[in-house]
Amino acid sequence: MSEKIIVTEDVKKTYDENGVPVEAVRGVDLTIKSGEFSALVGPSGSGKTTFLNLISGLDTPTAGKIWLDGKPLSEMSGRELSDFRRDNIGFIFQAYNLIPVLTVEENIEYIMLLQGVPKEERQSRVAEILEEVGLGGFEDRLPPKLSGGQQQRVAVARAMVAKPSIILADEPTANLDSKTSGALLDMMHELNRKTGMTFLFSTHDQIVIDRAERVITMRDGVIARDEVR
Amino acid sequence: MIFKLAWRNLFRNKRRTIIAGIAIAIGLGALIFLDAIYTGEEVLLPQIATSTFLGEAQITHEQYRVRQTVDLTIQDFDETLGMLAENPYVEAFTARAQAFGTISSARDVRGISIYGIVPETERKMSILDEVMVEGEYLTGDNTRDAIIGTKLAEILGVSLGDRIVLSAAQAISGDIAQELFRVSGIFDFGDRSMNSGTVFIGLDVAQRLLGIGETAHTIVLKFLDTNYSRDTTTAFWSDFSKGGNVAVSWVQIMPEIATIDEMMLIGKISMSVILMGVVIFVILNTLFMALYERMFELGVLRALGTRPIGVAKLLMFEAGALSIVGIVFGVTLGFTITALMTHIGFDFSGMEFSGIALREKLYPVMKLYQFIIYPVGVFIFTLIVGIYPAVHAARIAPSKAMRKTM
Repeated sequence: MSEKIIVTEDVKKTYDENGVPVEAVRGVDLTIKSGEFSALVGPSGSGKTTFLNLISGLDTPTAGKIWLDGKPLSEMSGRELSDFRRDNIGFIFQAYNLIPVLTVEENIEYIMLLQGVPKEERQSRVAEILEEVGLGGFEDRLPPKLSGGQQQRVAVARAMVAKPSIILADEPTANLDSKTSGALLDMMHELNRKTGMTFLFSTHDQIVIDRAERVITMRDGVIARDEVR
Repeated sequence: MIFKLAWRNLFRNKRRTIIAGIAIAIGLGALIFLDAIYTGEEVLLPQIATSTFLGEAQITHEQYRVRQTVDLTIQDFDETLGMLAENPYVEAFTARAQAFGTISSARDVRGISIYGIVPETERKMSILDEVMVEGEYLTGDNTRDAIIGTKLAEILGVSLGDRIVLSAAQAISGDIAQELFRVSGIFDFGDRSMNSGTVFIGLDVAQRLLGIGETAHTIVLKFLDTNYSRDTTTAFWSDFSKGGNVAVSWVQIMPEIATIDEMMLIGKISMSVILMGVVIFVILNTLFMALYERMFELGVLRALGTRPIGVAKLLMFEAGALSIVGIVFGVTLGFTITALMTHIGFDFSGMEFSGIALREKLYPVMKLYQFIIYPVGVFIFTLIVGIYPAVHAARIAPSKAMRKTM
């Protein structure tokens, strides 16, 4: 629980919006420890999403340094970053973002396929994780045939199946009703406890905030408050 | 998985895929059909040219084709005929005496070409016996028989049985000789110059009229395999191009046919490039539309750990899959239309190409290579064209692709 899995040091990000520089992140120092169940909160435009992009290697900082699992992201090539994301980061998106033409099973096994996991192992892990998220028997369904809650469960399963060390979730409950959101959060919290995976949410949702063990508030591109419960 | 994903992606927007597939299919079908027409023309034009009157090769005195004077007859005529009879490549041949002269009737006088022919062997070399519209083809029974073209009969105001006089300069002496003939037949070659300026009489009469003895000016021949006529490296040409004679192929006698062939080939290549260009732009457009439509999804794939090359592969597979769909439709379309037209044919009767009257229909010719080279070409071009959107997709930063959320 004490291992530092995400460390940022004076991270800044400035965008060029039609010739006008926009400082989205203005010097963030943050340390997330392994196994944390944290929420990054703040109003729209506070820099939450940009910060998540930076710490996941989807975007590069204008200044500052980021270490993930002890590895400096700035020293990785594009290919190394892809492999690092594949092996170490699970993503859960607001709009689920499952591949609509792939079945539930194929969506979940996609990352394992990139990792070169053998077919039999892939199938057993898919079955296992689907049971965990309560979707056993849904393997052959296509995402558009599932409800929002079911799709987000599949997204959680996809994020977790490759056993990454960090799960980054961007507004994962934004499209769900409160009952489904609560159930999904409870499930993720349970998985966090069982597996020790680190969860970092970007959210406005009070249901997420209520369950988070640490709430980091961002405002105007900086951390305004950091509360450990 | 990438291939499966690419294949299924293709059918996410069925209408667009179908339209793109049809466009590729039309392009490919047209390429196949165009080639079949060209191949048909390539076969037909020389066939008409050689089978009408020209023959596939001719043996003449080495100076005859340049000077065309009546005294330039074939050297060692009988020996040459004997050699031809024994030559394994030659299917048939006939001798012709040929001179410029005049024809006169009660109404008019005209300058013409007089041909002395051997009726039996001439049947195998030209279509003269098939284009008779009145009277009869030369039989050889009556040495006073002459057959003339429809236009010439009209100009001279003569019909079957009417008397005509042929005049020509004799070899060596240069004296003008005249002989009386009767119109025994009227032909229509479909070619204005033949119909208005040619008279056929028996070879022996022509030999006497022209004072050339028992020889001729031209031996016209046909090979067992028509391809021999295009291959001027075989021993045939050297065997018959000696002792003052020369053997020439129809390709040299009528270079305009070869020119038409070249023009058709250029036309075919130009059309192929245009059609291929259309196909390429259809594919490019479809891929870019698919790319921008699914930009966020590609960002998700990158976020999940797909390497840039993986995204490029996905786009390449989609291009390949789209191409395969188009190729299946295109080959079917090309085959159907070509197969149909190989039975129906194009009727160009009455049209004239460089002095060759098209009497037969042009039938497209299907060849196996048309169904291999063009589909494979379209597939390879598609993959080459697909590189551009694939590289574009691979280079997009995941954060930019997913700008709206994460």
